[in-house]
Amino acid sequence: MERKEFLRRGFLSALGTSFILPIVGACSGDTVNPVSTTETTTGTTTGTTTGSCTTTATETAGPFPTKTPSSLVMTDITSDRSGTKLTVKITIQNKNNSCAALANAIVDIWHCDAAGNYSEYGGTGMQSTNYTSVHFLRGRQTTDANGLVTFTSIYPGWYSGRAPHIHAHIYSSSGTSLLVTQIAFDQTINNTVYAQGVYKSHGLQDTTNANDNVFSDGVGTELASFTGSITDGYVLTHTIVVNG
Amino acid sequence: MTKGIIQLCYRKIIDASSEKAWDKYVFEDTWMEFFMQAQTYTQNGKYNTFQEISDNVPAAKGMTYVVSTAAINYIRQLKDIVPDVANVYGKLCLPFKHFKFEIIHSDVRDKASHKVAIYFYTEPITWIDTLDGKLLLAYGDQREALKCGQEVETEMISLQPYLNISSVILSSPAVRQKEDNLISSSENSPL
Repeated sequence: MERKEFLRRGFLSALGTSFILPIVGACSGDTVNPVSTTETTTGTTTGTTTGSCTTTATETAGPFPTKTPSSLVMTDITSDRSGTKLTVKITIQNKNNSCAALANAIVDIWHCDAAGNYSEYGGTGMQSTNYTSVHFLRGRQTTDANGLVTFTSIYPGWYSGRAPHIHAHIYSSSGTSLLVTQIAFDQTINNTVYAQGVYKSHGLQDTTNANDNVFSDGVGTELASFTGSITDGYVLTHTIVVNG
Repeated sequence: MTKGIIQLCYRKIIDASSEKAWDKYVFEDTWMEFFMQAQTYTQNGKYNTFQEISDNVPAAKGMTYVVSTAAINYIRQLKDIVPDVANVYGKLCLPFKHFKFEIIHSDVRDKASHKVAIYFYTEPITWIDTLDGKLLLAYGDQREALKCGQEVETEMISLQPYLNISSVILSSPAVRQKEDNLISSSENSPL
């Protein structure tokens, strides 16, 4: 397909001309059997003749670059992972502005899949232009006027030694780091989710929030609220306060 | 009959002096991503450059990749055609599917010093000959078609700065000798 694309863009149209040349310039006695004399130019290069002048042929304007976000900017960060649906709603408030909503803050989140694995960031090697699932369960959104970002994902699994959690990194609109934190989960819902579906084979978590080395100092500002069910999926609602 | 199968690689350098719109977008956005990511590793100003962070913070090993996420959607806008490298008609021509991103230098204190490179790797190309400093090429592996006397569409590209032959599979001397013999015998044979 790429080759065809290349042919359209590049040299096949010119090849039509080069095929004609040998016929014109063919020496007598030489046997010339052109493979094709068909004009292979594609697109709308045919001009319009009216009177004594000819309208210049129209050509494609070509690919112009447009401002485009990082591949991390995604609302649905599920990628190729399966699990119980989880909608993540995070509101960012600014302690330095009477706890008002902080608009235009950049929010990065990442978490592990049902088996407890994170997407590995590639190294410094070669990448493919069409490889899309390289950073599953990682994403970035910018807060709206209400300080809210919403992601669609799956309920995180767990890995040994840590209570279930979502990582979050909050930046100002100019990219200055404001806060790195983690969001804690409700033990009762964990027990429900991990007893079924793709989570079941991995079993129940081995670390509670109270025993977790990150959350054991208290999850008062880190524990999210949950609504929903296995069938309908869960909605995580959480407020993160930064010094914006 | 052919020199062999080659892969061309073009290293495109982007810095504060880059003038094309695409280059400027990549410069701005990769700088922003570096600035954002580096703050996790600067350790209160102890480290400021990409080199310092890479040398001293093992956890920062994925930073090149993370910064490349700011560039990949621009790279996709190229529609798998290598930028800047034109054929003798002056048209962009080289197809690619793979690239490598490199941070040459970056410093959280100095945006103007930010400098990155993108290596664009072509798909396999048949290198037929070199004429007047230009590579005579055919896309894909056309050795068999050429050997069979089939017509093959070709392309000519000048050797130029930052364009490298990054890998090669040479036609073996035995094969070339055989092909040369075939050519000379066909030249000598009566029509």
